[in-house]
Amino acid sequence: MNAVTVAAGAVQLVGGVVLAPLLPGLVQHWKARLQGRRGPTPVQPYRDLRRLWGKSAVAVEGTSVVYRLAPSVVAASLGAAVLLVPVAAQAPDWGLGHDVLVLVGLLALARFAVAASSWDTGNGFSLMGASRDLTLSAFVEGTLLVSLAVATLVTGTTDLRAMIAGSVGGAWSSPLLAIGAVPFAMVVLAETGRQPVDNPDTHLELTMIHEGPLLEYAGRDLAYLQWAIAARHWVVLVIAAQIFLPHPGGPWWQLGILPVALGLLCGLLAVTETLVAKMRLLEVPRLLAVGALVALLGIAARLAGIA
Amino acid sequence: MTGVPLLVGLAAIAVGGVLGAGRRTFTVGLLLQVGGACAVGVAGFWTLAVGGTLGAGFTNALRPSLGVDGLSALFLGALGLVAAPALTFSLRYLPPSPRGRLVSVLTAGFLLVLALVLAARDPVTFLTGWELMTLLPAAVILVARDGDVAARRTVFTYLAVTHLGGVGTWVAVLLLAREGAFGTHATIATGSALQVGIALAALIGMGTKAGVMPLHVWLPRAHPIAPAPVSALMSGVMIKVAVYALVRVLVDWVGVLPIWFGVVVLGAGALSAVGGVTYALFQHELKRLLALHSIENIGIIVLALGACLILRSRGSSAWAAFALAAALLHTVNHAVFKALLFLGAGAFERATGSLELDRLGGLLRRMPWTGGAFLVGAMAIAGLPPLNGFASEWLTMQVLLRLPVYGGVGDGIAGAVALAVLAATAALALLCFVKVVGLVLLGPRRGAGTPGEAPAPMAAAVGVLALGCVVLGVAPGLLFGSLVRLAPWGANAPTHAALRLPGTGSVPGIGIAVLLVALTATLLLMRGRRVAAPAPGWACGQLVEAPLNWTSAGFTKPLRLVLEVVLRPRREITVRTEGGVVQEVTYQGHVPHLIDERIYAPVARAALVVAAHARRLQSGSLGMYVAYLIGLVVVLLGAARIGLFR
Repeated sequence: MNAVTVAAGAVQLVGGVVLAPLLPGLVQHWKARLQGRRGPTPVQPYRDLRRLWGKSAVAVEGTSVVYRLAPSVVAASLGAAVLLVPVAAQAPDWGLGHDVLVLVGLLALARFAVAASSWDTGNGFSLMGASRDLTLSAFVEGTLLVSLAVATLVTGTTDLRAMIAGSVGGAWSSPLLAIGAVPFAMVVLAETGRQPVDNPDTHLELTMIHEGPLLEYAGRDLAYLQWAIAARHWVVLVIAAQIFLPHPGGPWWQLGILPVALGLLCGLLAVTETLVAKMRLLEVPRLLAVGALVALLGIAARLAGIA
Repeated sequence: MTGVPLLVGLAAIAVGGVLGAGRRTFTVGLLLQVGGACAVGVAGFWTLAVGGTLGAGFTNALRPSLGVDGLSALFLGALGLVAAPALTFSLRYLPPSPRGRLVSVLTAGFLLVLALVLAARDPVTFLTGWELMTLLPAAVILVARDGDVAARRTVFTYLAVTHLGGVGTWVAVLLLAREGAFGTHATIATGSALQVGIALAALIGMGTKAGVMPLHVWLPRAHPIAPAPVSALMSGVMIKVAVYALVRVLVDWVGVLPIWFGVVVLGAGALSAVGGVTYALFQHELKRLLALHSIENIGIIVLALGACLILRSRGSSAWAAFALAAALLHTVNHAVFKALLFLGAGAFERATGSLELDRLGGLLRRMPWTGGAFLVGAMAIAGLPPLNGFASEWLTMQVLLRLPVYGGVGDGIAGAVALAVLAATAALALLCFVKVVGLVLLGPRRGAGTPGEAPAPMAAAVGVLALGCVVLGVAPGLLFGSLVRLAPWGANAPTHAALRLPGTGSVPGIGIAVLLVALTATLLLMRGRRVAAPAPGWACGQLVEAPLNWTSAGFTKPLRLVLEVVLRPRREITVRTEGGVVQEVTYQGHVPHLIDERIYAPVARAALVVAAHARRLQSGSLGMYVAYLIGLVVVLLGAARIGLFR
């Protein structure tokens, strides 16, 4: 194992586990600035986590083991996802492989645990959020897979390390990747629960999607779930930066440019949240369908020898 | 020699079936059958692992011959794998009453007939077994539901649809036999009308039996009304025997098919997958929901088969073999988790007296073993790692991803669309099974009574199948290597516990499972036990009481709204007011089955009209019938005279 691999492993672990909460923190901070407010500092998520860590969890009457297990399962799935997604083409193998479709499965596992816990508590607002999340996820996963099909067509593999290596280029190495970036951007918005798909700032139960199922949790359980949301930001943004955005070929360059790219993407999320209002729930599938269509057109153009 | 345990196992099932007819030997008979099924399962997988064949080879001659090769062995293994728990379950599920004993005898016969189709090596035995395979479950349902008029009508629909569709099987098999292609490939020219005709006939005939949309109408009707162990066998094994026949004909016997045919198969698979899961979502009865999910999973299998045909036409024989292995692996996986879910449903029905989703609830605490196993099965069918459903769905997605890589514009785009459909299907299956788990296992009790844990044999049966879901999910590669070697064009893959394919990041099931369990355990320990006193759930300050419970219809409402244009749900709200005050609001809504309403209902109506006209010919007078006969003879003589028969 050479120095690059060790460094890539360290960036992956430290970034995914420790620095991940900084990403939603930065988005919230910059969004507030863009809207002319002072807003919370970027380290606000850490303060929230510390506060939650000191509090006791709650037990809801009439719940079963599923309610107690769910936050740990969610955090474990996202932990596995962090280990799965490499930050550079040379990354250590944590015994999970690096297949991008396994990542889809891990995210689904987290979604299942959250939704099952909502059924366990029986809270209507939790269930409302869970049912909306799962409904949208059908369209999100369809769009995600065609955008990944674009990347596979360019790089010939679903191994994330090889995908990073295969999509290297100063500008986009293949115009197809730029096309694939469009649907993937929509997937990023949906997976991170950002406007126009969901509003992470909302405190109105009727409009919640991703926050809804968390209503019945407190203390360390809630801390796990909050961290999982941050880790979800990390995972999808790293894939966006290292595959769908132009990135350099040298391993040290790849590691060095990552913070810049992640910052840029957080800035883009902040700008999007400022400019675009939340969509009506039933309109979101249409948005995602447009993304999928773009990717399909890109694939068709490639197969016809145009792109 | 794996032939000996296979024969002993089948003999044990036969003897056990006979013994099951007696009141005193009922339990002994069932136990003997369980042993026989275990032997068949072990012998099947063993034959698959060591390769080679048993008994006769395929023949086009019309004389009975039986034998087993790798593909047959795989399905025999799956048969044993499902039958052993299903029969164990029957020990306590079936009462030793005359009716229960008759059901048990017929079930043993059903198992033997399924094995007969799998071991048939000539067209006659195959078609005999094929017809019996349709008739025996019908008989079981009629016996088990004696006097139930609705069930009798359903059985009629089942027989009518499968026999009409079954014509395709006869046409395909007899044409193959005439061409000398029953059991051998490379005798039919690629792209010839004959080849396409055989393939289409097989797709229709065997697709009907497998439940491929839009030929599936019988399946969601017939599967739910059978006794639970028979439902498990029908969904777990019978429709898989149809898949076996499809694989034989399409992948092997007709040779390399044109690309467009692969796209047609892909389309049928995509329609079945997404259609099955969508209609399953809006069901409120557990067994009917599970039956519709069988259509979804058959769709996933057919998607992989379609990918196999396309990749083979495109000359990528390695990936075509992987696609075939994906289809076969999902076949085995679905057999395991669907049998588990149907048996679990049977246990819940026995404990609570209901299968209405909105009348169950809270069963995980009351039936921890059965409920826990059911939870594993639900997670497996929803395609969650590290369980078996995930492994085969991952494989299927991988092979669909290769269609744009190896294909042209048409099949490449078809592959990408199929991929998106499969991903959406998986997500919808997750939505559906979260709903099932929530309504059946979690939350408060919604129905009357205080059910307790199922009897030991029933709990053991679902427990073993849950273990199967875990083992096949953690180490799918053990089976995968043998499945790749089943490709008739010769392909190879090394046998690992993990799934490792070129150009993928591989699925090390053991690593994923160990890491997930270890992380969850660590996080649970870190969380500690400090918990505030239990309090009622919070819902804007309202107490979560029974009238606020969410229902199956409520949870799927967002999807119903999104898909309104396609599904055309119906709702009816009546408000009764008295003196300007609302007294009562009744709401009724359902999602009609469009294929039933738009395709089958008009066809059935037209058929009835034609039949009514045809009936006028039957006047009942003898003279009229004699006149018909004379007329027929005259017409035939005339036809012979002008040389029509030469």
